[in-house]
Amino acid sequence: MIFKVAWRNIWRSKVRSFIVIGSIAVGIWAGLLIIGFSFGMNNERTASAIGTTTGHAQIHSEAFDLEPVSGAVLGDESAVDQLRSEVENLPFVAGTAQRTVLQGMINSVKSSRAVRIMGVWPEDERAQTTLPMTLVEGDFFESAGRNRLVIGEKLANRLGLKLRSKVVLTFQDAEGTLSRASFRVSGIYKTLNTTWDEFHLYVHHKDLEHTTGAPLVHEVLVRYNETLDTDEKTIELASALPEDLSVMSWKQVNPELGFADDMMAIMLVLVLGIIMMALLFGIINNMLMAILERRRELGMLMAVGMNKSKLFLMILLETLMLGFVGGPIGIVLGDLSTRIMMHIGVDLTSKKEGLAELGVQSIIYPEIVPEYYIIIAIMVVATALIASILPALRALKLNPVEAIRGQ
Amino acid sequence: MSKPVIEIKNLEKVYEGAVPVHAVNGINLTITEGEFTALKGPSGCGKTTLLNLLGGLDQPTSGTIEIGGVDITALSENELIDFRLRNIGFVFQAYNLIPVLSAQENVSFIMLLQDRPKEEREARAQQLLEAVGLKGKEGQRPGQLSGGQQQRVAVARALASKPQFVLADEPTANLDSTSTANLLDIMEKLNKEEGMTFVFATHDDRVIKKARRIISIEDGKVLSDE
Repeated sequence: MIFKVAWRNIWRSKVRSFIVIGSIAVGIWAGLLIIGFSFGMNNERTASAIGTTTGHAQIHSEAFDLEPVSGAVLGDESAVDQLRSEVENLPFVAGTAQRTVLQGMINSVKSSRAVRIMGVWPEDERAQTTLPMTLVEGDFFESAGRNRLVIGEKLANRLGLKLRSKVVLTFQDAEGTLSRASFRVSGIYKTLNTTWDEFHLYVHHKDLEHTTGAPLVHEVLVRYNETLDTDEKTIELASALPEDLSVMSWKQVNPELGFADDMMAIMLVLVLGIIMMALLFGIINNMLMAILERRRELGMLMAVGMNKSKLFLMILLETLMLGFVGGPIGIVLGDLSTRIMMHIGVDLTSKKEGLAELGVQSIIYPEIVPEYYIIIAIMVVATALIASILPALRALKLNPVEAIRGQ
Repeated sequence: MSKPVIEIKNLEKVYEGAVPVHAVNGINLTITEGEFTALKGPSGCGKTTLLNLLGGLDQPTSGTIEIGGVDITALSENELIDFRLRNIGFVFQAYNLIPVLSAQENVSFIMLLQDRPKEEREARAQQLLEAVGLKGKEGQRPGQLSGGQQQRVAVARALASKPQFVLADEPTANLDSTSTANLLDIMEKLNKEEGMTFVFATHDDRVIKKARRIISIEDGKVLSDE
């Protein structure tokens, strides 16, 4: 019956209870939207980076990690083939691609810049990355010709380059000697990560070999069958390979992306915490008002023999019930709103440039993150529990004689 | 001879202040089982203070109160709460029912606090409401009942815990003459038929006329005991 009393008590002041329940629901609704939006934005950014550039993991020689010089290769052609075969045999690996990675300079008529030259096997890139799909002009080594170059749009703009513009690349050959070769722009790409676009350019591995004198494979990109538990999979991958190879997850390859991913979870819990803090004070205020209004009744209950633990329980239940009503409403509202926005997207075209710098598209599609529903449910219960303590203590301090008199 | 239910010895209650007030000043009383006793006196004479002390709601400055052989002045706060629950019934001037519960639930609630089984609670609540003339009103909430009916629910509630005695503080103060007469008849009937001991604090002549023992209090002392 204490449950019944508590339940009915919260409806004694309907307006006040509706306001508290409404604020809980709105707080949770807003929290879920923020979570959905943040995850949508971050996951899109991560998926884009993994898909177009980094893969889920990368394998290099330890020497390459220490100093990415041209000689720090993974091995000769057969060694690389064997390595890729071993990696592809792992059950969670979907595919691999090999790359030449050279530090160099690009010189155009207008300017010159330091760049990273990626010598690629175009079929591998097409199979394992989405980079070829990011081309805004030209093609990704499909047309015939030699010394073709695919360059990021931002870098092309800085260097004043267009399709078929001629540039000179300077880089180390296999012996570490500086070599120069001229290339012609055959494609311009644009990923969501403009920082990447500004620093990386792609050439056909065969065109590089003409200058370097031998095929140089510095990097094997690994794509898993899904972006889940990538840290664990990377550890498993590393344990399956010789110790002199370095295996890095996408978070290590792109630390700021990994950091953003890790930090987001912490930030979202903090945001939820702030929302719960605001709700906490609202609930405490409501319950203190309720205690004040029911002094006589509480005094009577203490007088006739309701012990402190039962009185505490009754007030605790009333507070929890406010959360139990407002919480599910907020979760349902948040879930529905997120699902609707998952379909229509949140259009932030006005912030397009800034978002592109962050590697995010201008239309964000929020995501449903079920784990956070559980976190929110736990936080609501915890908030209600904490909120009940002060009002309950106030009630316990009442003097029955004075309370019955209404003093 | 009836056995004593309440034995008060040298009871004093002093409210400290710039001028200390002796609300109860050396009272010695014995109330036996089955009494229908009124404590009368003008406002501020100390009768409500005495009633609060008898009910274990307030602590005396000195003296002892034995109820059924237990000195309640020596009990801890928690022990007192439990003692009140099992031994004392209360009827208040302002009824003080729980507005969100029906008449039957208000009566049952006390038994719930005593951890009595549901069947027993429901049966006794119905029986008591019938005894106070509220058969058919069991499902009504206090707001749907008249003042007299509410006070009758309060009497049923006071009896629900099977107490040793019932303390009633100005139980008729908010009632009209018809409701007062009804209430007094019911309490008198419960006193005579079930032997329930009633102690009233009142200055209502209608209650005093019904009482079989009248204790006059003035300045915290017993002026007369008839």
